Amino acid sequence: MSDQRLFSKYKAYEIKSELQQVNLKKHRISAVKRKNALKKIIANLTMGNFNEMALLFPDILKFWQIDDDVEVRRICHHYLVAMGPTKSAYLKDALQLVLKDLDSGTEEVRIMALRTLSSIPSTDYLNEAFKSVKSVLQSSASPRLKKTAIHAITKLDQSDHNRIWPLLNILRRLVDEIKEDSSVQAHALYVMYRIHEANEDMKMMTLERDTCFRMLEMLPALNEWDHSLVLESMITSYAPQTHSEAHHLIEIVLPQLQHVNTSVILNALKFIMYLINYVDYLQEGLIKRLSNSIVTLLNKPPELQFLVLRNVILLLLSREEPLLKVDVSYFFVEFNDPIYIKDTKLEILYLLAKHANLSQILQELKEYATDIDIQMSRKAIRAIGNLAVKLEHSASECVAVLLELLDFGVEYIVQEIVSVFKNILRKYPGQFESCVDKLVQFTDSVQEPESRSSMIWIITQHSSYLPNYLELFQIFSSNFQDETLEVQFSILNSSVKFFVRSPTEATEKLCVDILRYSTEKIDNPDLRDRAFMYWRLLSAAQQNNGLPLSIETVKDIVDGDLPLITLNTRLDPQVLEELELNIGSIASIYLKPVSQVFRLNKTKVLPKSPALNLDRDNIDIIADSSSTRSSSVVDLRFSAPSRTSSSPIKKMDDYDKPAEKVNSLKTKKRSSSSAVKLTRKPSVLARKLSMRRPFA
Amino acid sequence: MINALFIYSLRGELIISKQAKSSAQKSMSEIFRVQVINNLDVRSPVLTLGSTTFHHIRTSGNLWLVAVSRSNADSAAIWEFLYKLNVLMEAYAIHSEEQLKEKFMVCYELLDIVLEDGVPIETELSSVAARMSEKPTVALDNLNMISEEFLSSASKIIPRPRLLRGKSSSFTSQDNFNGMSSTCSWRPSGIKYKKNEVFLDVNERISILVSHDGSILKSYVDGTVEIVTHLSGMPVCRFGLNDALSLNTPFSDAQDLEPNNDIKNKNAIPKAAAGSVILEDCKFHQCVHLDKFHSERIIKFIPPDGSFELMKYHVRENLNLPFKITPIVTIVKSNTVEYRVTLKSLFPSKLTAKDVQLRIPVPPETVDCNVSVSNGKCKFVPEDSALVWQFGKYQGLTENTLSAVTVPMKDSSINIQQWPRPPMSLKFEIMMFSNSGLVVRFFNVSEREQKYSTVKWIKYISKSGAYEIRY
Repeated sequence: MSDQRLFSKYKAYEIKSELQQVNLKKHRISAVKRKNALKKIIANLTMGNFNEMALLFPDILKFWQIDDDVEVRRICHHYLVAMGPTKSAYLKDALQLVLKDLDSGTEEVRIMALRTLSSIPSTDYLNEAFKSVKSVLQSSASPRLKKTAIHAITKLDQSDHNRIWPLLNILRRLVDEIKEDSSVQAHALYVMYRIHEANEDMKMMTLERDTCFRMLEMLPALNEWDHSLVLESMITSYAPQTHSEAHHLIEIVLPQLQHVNTSVILNALKFIMYLINYVDYLQEGLIKRLSNSIVTLLNKPPELQFLVLRNVILLLLSREEPLLKVDVSYFFVEFNDPIYIKDTKLEILYLLAKHANLSQILQELKEYATDIDIQMSRKAIRAIGNLAVKLEHSASECVAVLLELLDFGVEYIVQEIVSVFKNILRKYPGQFESCVDKLVQFTDSVQEPESRSSMIWIITQHSSYLPNYLELFQIFSSNFQDETLEVQFSILNSSVKFFVRSPTEATEKLCVDILRYSTEKIDNPDLRDRAFMYWRLLSAAQQNNGLPLSIETVKDIVDGDLPLITLNTRLDPQVLEELELNIGSIASIYLKPVSQVFRLNKTKVLPKSPALNLDRDNIDIIADSSSTRSSSVVDLRFSAPSRTSSSPIKKMDDYDKPAEKVNSLKTKKRSSSSAVKLTRKPSVLARKLSMRRPFA
Repeated sequence: MINALFIYSLRGELIISKQAKSSAQKSMSEIFRVQVINNLDVRSPVLTLGSTTFHHIRTSGNLWLVAVSRSNADSAAIWEFLYKLNVLMEAYAIHSEEQLKEKFMVCYELLDIVLEDGVPIETELSSVAARMSEKPTVALDNLNMISEEFLSSASKIIPRPRLLRGKSSSFTSQDNFNGMSSTCSWRPSGIKYKKNEVFLDVNERISILVSHDGSILKSYVDGTVEIVTHLSGMPVCRFGLNDALSLNTPFSDAQDLEPNNDIKNKNAIPKAAAGSVILEDCKFHQCVHLDKFHSERIIKFIPPDGSFELMKYHVRENLNLPFKITPIVTIVKSNTVEYRVTLKSLFPSKLTAKDVQLRIPVPPETVDCNVSVSNGKCKFVPEDSALVWQFGKYQGLTENTLSAVTVPMKDSSINIQQWPRPPMSLKFEIMMFSNSGLVVRFFNVSEREQKYSTVKWIKYISKSGAYEIRY
C-alpha cells in the first residue's frame, strides 16, 4: 500500500514498480499514490541511499514531463540538484525541462527553475543561468523572482568568478534605481556586499554618500530581515567625511534599537559602534540607550541570550571606558540558566568587578562556589582568585572569601582554592603569608596536578614560615615516579631550591635522590634534560675549578626573584577594532579575529576619512545638554528626578503590607509521605477503632 | 548565510536536509550527530569545526533544528530564524518526529518560501501562508500561544476568547492596492471582517532574587504586549501606555481626555493607574513606525492580520512585588533541617493568584519530611530533593505558614554544612494584575476609507519569572 512508511530504505525497483503500477490509471487516487512514491525517493535521499536512488533518474525525467503538479515539480528539482552532479549523462535532458519550467506561468516554478540552474556545477547550466539571471533582473518580473535571481548571483560567483562583472553592474544599477522595489534593492545591496567580501581580488564595497543615506531612509518600508541585511551591508561601506555626518547617521539608525528582532538590533548596534569611530564626542544618553536595549535582549531564548552575553563581553573589553553601562545584577546567575549562560555571566561579572561593586559580586561568587555543578563552582573560585589579582586594593576582601570557602572543606573547592592562591601569593609577596599555615593543612587533599604543583610551589616559596616544610614536601617527593609530568617538574625544581637555600644533609639527600631518579629512570627527555642541567650546575659550582660560578650565582639562577604577574584580559586593540565590526556574528561568540576562524571572510578595517579617530580609547563622553529635537526626548527620560541609576539596595520588607487574612498552622504535624502514614502508633489506631459507631 | 539546514529527530535521524550538496551532506550531518546529539555534555549552542559552524536549537517537540554555515555568518539572524521557523512549522502542525516524517514536503515548501539561498526573506505567518499551497492547520489567532508556550514550556496556556473567523475574512485580489502592499509587506490588502475586534494581552514575568538578609539583589519585569486583530482594510492603530515619558509630552495629554470605556476592568489595577511606569527599554514588532516612536514616543502601526507580539518591554523601578516569602531555616541537630516559611500575598484581596507553587529545596539523602501547612498542599518530592507547596488559588493579602522538619537517611554520610542551599523558588500567575504597574491608556483604530467601531478587549497576566529567595 502507498501508506507504507516514507522514511525507510527502499530498493530502486520497489519504487519503480510503485510508480509504474499507478501510472496506468489516471485517477486522482493514483496521483496521490504516485506522489507518495516520489516522496519516498526524497526521504531516501535524505537518508543517504544515493546509489539506489540514482537508478531512478529516467523515471523522474518522465514524470517531470507529464505531471504539472507543483509538488511533483518540487520533488523533481530537489532530485536533480541532489543527484545531477553525479549523473552527468542525464543532465542534458534535464536542462531542457528546467528551461521549460523557467518560462512557465507560475512564479513558484520559475523560482525553482532558476535556483536549480544556478546550483548545478556544469557548464551548460551555468551558461543558461548567467543568461536567465540577467534577463530576469532586466525585465519587470515580480520582486520575489528578482530576489531569487539576485541570490543566484552569489552561487554563480562561487562557480565562475571571472564572468561575474556584468552582473555586478546590473546589481549596482538596481541599487541606484529609485523606482525599484525597496526589498529587491536591499537584497541587491547585500549580495553585492557579500561578493566583495568573499573575493580576494576585490576590495570591500564602497557606497556613495547619497546611496547610503537613501538606503537608510528606506528602512521603515522593509521587513525585519531586509532591515538587518541593509544594516549589515553598511558596515565599512561608507565612511562619514565629517563628525556631524557621523552624528546624523547615528540619529537615523538609533530607532532601530527598538526593533524586536535580535539581528536587527545587533546590526544597528554594530553600525553605531562603527560610526562612533568617526565622531568627536558621545552623549551619555546614547550610551544609556545602547545599554538598555542590550538588557531587554536578555529576555530572549537562551541561545540568543548567550549570543548577546558574548557581545556584552566584547563591548566591555573593547574600550578602556566601556560604552556599556549595565547594572551588575543582570548578570547574576539564575538557577535554571543553561550552563553556557552561567559560564558567560560569570565571565561578565569578573569583567564588571570594580572596587565599588566588589562586595556585591563577591557575595554572588561565593554563592556559586558552592553550586551543585562542580565546573561552575570551580569557575567561580577561579574568578574570585583572579579578582584578587586584578583589583589590588581589594585583594584582602577576596582572600577573606577564599579562606571562608576553605572551611567548607569539599575536596574540589580546596583544590581550586590552592591553585588560585598560588597566583595571589605571587602577586602580593609578603602580604598574605599568614594564610600559608592554613593552606598547608590541606596538603593531603590536593590531588589534581595543577593544585598539587601549586601546593608544592607554595610550600617551597614559604619554607621559611614552615618549620616542617621538608615533612610536608615528603608527601609529594616520596611518590615522585607516579606523579604527572607537571608535578614532577615542580618537585624537581623545589628539591633543588631547598638544597641551594640550605645545604644540609637532609636536603642534599632529597635533591640527589630526585636528580638521580629523573636522570636514570624517567623517559621524558625534557624532564631528564632539566635534571641533568641542574646536576651539572650544582657540580660546577661545587668543584669551583677556576670558573666564576659561585654557589651564590647558582642560587640566583635556581631561586631568583620572580617577576610580578599581571592578568591580561584586554585583547589586542587591532583585534578589538575588527571584532566591533563583527558584532552579532559567529566571530563575536569566540572573540577571535575573523581570519583565524574563517578562510572565506576578509578582515574588515575602518575606511579612512578625515573624521576618523585615531585614538579609539579617547572619546569625550558628555552629559546630555544639547538641544536637538529627538535627543531632548531622550534627555527627559534620563534626567527624570524619580530615576536614580544606582538605586540603593531595597529590602523585601519595604514592600510589605499587612495581611487581611492570616492562616495559622494547625498544631499537629502530618507527614507528607504515605510510608510514614502506615506506621501509626497503635494507640492512635485503637482510638480510631473505638470511635466507630457500634452496629445498631 | 545558512549554507545548509538540517532537521533531526531526537535520536539523531536526519529528516530534512536542505541545500546541502549530496557529497557533503553525509559527512556534515554525521559530524553534528556525533558531536552534539550523541554528546551528553554539550556546553554550547554553537559548534565550529574548521570553518564550518553549526547553530542549533531544540524544539519542544524534540526536534533538532540545525543551521550550517561556512563563513562568518550573522548568528543573531540564524537563531532568530530557527525560532521563527519552528513557529511556522508549529502552525502547520509539524511538531513531532512522526508529524515531520509525514509532512516533510510541507516543510520543504516552507523552506523554499522563507529562505533564498540561505538568507531569510519572510517569516511573518500571514504572508507565508498566502504563498503556501496549504492553509495553516492552526488558526492565526493561536499562533502566539505556540510561541509563548515554546519559550516557557512550563507555563500553562490561558484559553483566549475564541471567535469564529470563518468566511468573514477573505482576501481579494492584490492588484487593487498594489501601491499600498509594497509599503506594508506584512499585511495583504482587502481584508474584511463583519465585526471588528482587538484583543490585547499584557503578559509580564517578574524576576527577583532576595538574599539571606532580605535585601533584593535584583528585580525586574519583562513584559510583552500581544495583540490579536480582526480589523478590516488597512487600519492605522495608535496605542498608548502610562509610560512616564509619553505622559510628559503634551500630545498624549490630549489623548487622555478621550474616554476609553472599551477597556474593561481598569479598576483592577489600583496602584498603577495613578502612577506611571519608567520603561527601561522597549522593542517593537516590525510594523511599528520606529522613528515616530523615537521622535514623539507615539506607537503607531498598521497591524498584520491575526495575532502578533506588538512589543516587549523591560521595567526595573517601582515594581509591585506580588508575594513576600520569609524563610527561617535552621539546622537542628546533626543532619536535620527545620523550616518555617511564611508566604504572604501583597496584591489586592479582590484578586486571586492561581497555580501558586513554592519549591523548597531540602538536603540530599533526605528520606522524608514532617510537614504542616496552614493551607494548600505540600508534598515531598525525593527525586528533586525538594518540598513542593502548592495552592490552586491564592487570595490577595493572605498569609500562610509552613513548618517542616526533614528526616535524614539513617547513616547519612553527607555533611549538612556543605549543603549548597539552592534558592527557594516561587511560581504563580495572577490575572488582571501588573507587576510593573503598566496600564494601557488607549488604543485607537482609524481606517481611512471605512468607518467602523472596534470592540477592544484587554487582559493583564502577571507570571513569575525567576522568583528566587536565598536563606
